[in-house]
Amino acid sequence: MTSISDFDAPKPPPWMGALVPFLIVLAAAGFYWLLTSDKEKSPIDLDSSQEVKLSGKLSNGQTYYIFASEIEVYPTNLENEAWDRGEKGPDIRYRILWKGNAVFESVTKGDSLIADWSGLSIELNWKDLLGKSVSPDDVIKAGRVRFDENETIEIVVQDVDIASDDDVGRKEILLNGLSIGKNVIRLKKSPANAIRRITLRILPIGSNLQDLANIMK
Amino acid sequence: MNITRFFIALAALLLGIGLIAPTLTISPMAGELTWLVRILAPEELVPSTYSILGVIGKLYQGNDFFLVLLLSLFSVLSPILKLSFFWQASSQSYQQENSNSLFKVIHYVGKFSMAEVFALALIIVVVKSFPGGSSAQLEWGAYIFTCSVACSIIASIRIEKKDRNKALQ
Repeated sequence: MTSISDFDAPKPPPWMGALVPFLIVLAAAGFYWLLTSDKEKSPIDLDSSQEVKLSGKLSNGQTYYIFASEIEVYPTNLENEAWDRGEKGPDIRYRILWKGNAVFESVTKGDSLIADWSGLSIELNWKDLLGKSVSPDDVIKAGRVRFDENETIEIVVQDVDIASDDDVGRKEILLNGLSIGKNVIRLKKSPANAIRRITLRILPIGSNLQDLANIMK
Repeated sequence: MNITRFFIALAALLLGIGLIAPTLTISPMAGELTWLVRILAPEELVPSTYSILGVIGKLYQGNDFFLVLLLSLFSVLSPILKLSFFWQASSQSYQQENSNSLFKVIHYVGKFSMAEVFALALIIVVVKSFPGGSSAQLEWGAYIFTCSVACSIIASIRIEKKDRNKALQ
């Protein structure tokens, strides 16, 4: 009867041992990857939940930035006449009234039937911001309003003239009907209104700049 | 398992983690226009964290093949190869059979012991000198990687010491 001892068993080639470190590296990397691949997914989930908060209806008690990014007026004024003498267009400016008080007044956009405002401060002293984080309060040019049920704001649009400012129209807006982001309000021409369209942007205060920039896009 | 092999195995374990763990966080800045880019294209300024393999992948995407080759060689292939030689050299039977030729190789490979860390330092220096105030920060993966290098240095010292003792006998 014969038996095979350890001494007789075929020995693996000597270079096989050199594979051990390689296999350990591979196993450690693979194990770590397996452990962390699930964790990497979770921040994306968190981000998507934050997206929901940055859209949809306004929340009670929350304060918001509100500004008109675009206002379009009809080609003629309230009296169905040309806006300015000659072929010049109206010089448009708007104010936001909240609880009967003006909470924001825009800069005047000259000679335009469609006036636009970026909502960003152009007076920002960028030299002071070099390499520093920017506070949204320093950048956003908008009115601040707090949302409560059945709360309203009023947008007053004027044609700015040297002699006297002419009314273009005013629109009272129920905040309940607005949502975070872009809101387009279309209006009909009447003896009291020459505003065709108002695009309002609403941004929640307390968001970071990245969120605000996304809403503004 | 002898102590030398323990250090080699530990170095291999740490190397495996160090290669894919977060190693470097790069925070891009656009200098004087940072605030504007932050508003118009905030995604451009989001800090990115890379592992060593991630850096190599990113360089490959950017067609920086020379740096890909350099980093792959010094950060991935050289350490693994070095540890494989060390493992082989720490084997008793192999020491007896092939001592001279193997120890020459070990001695040669040992010169690259800190090459991985040097490669890492090079990346940081390059990023730190970027215009616009971009900055790079080391993450914990870099320390794991450095620990792996330290373990492999200990292993190489122990192997060389054993070789010297054998020569004296």
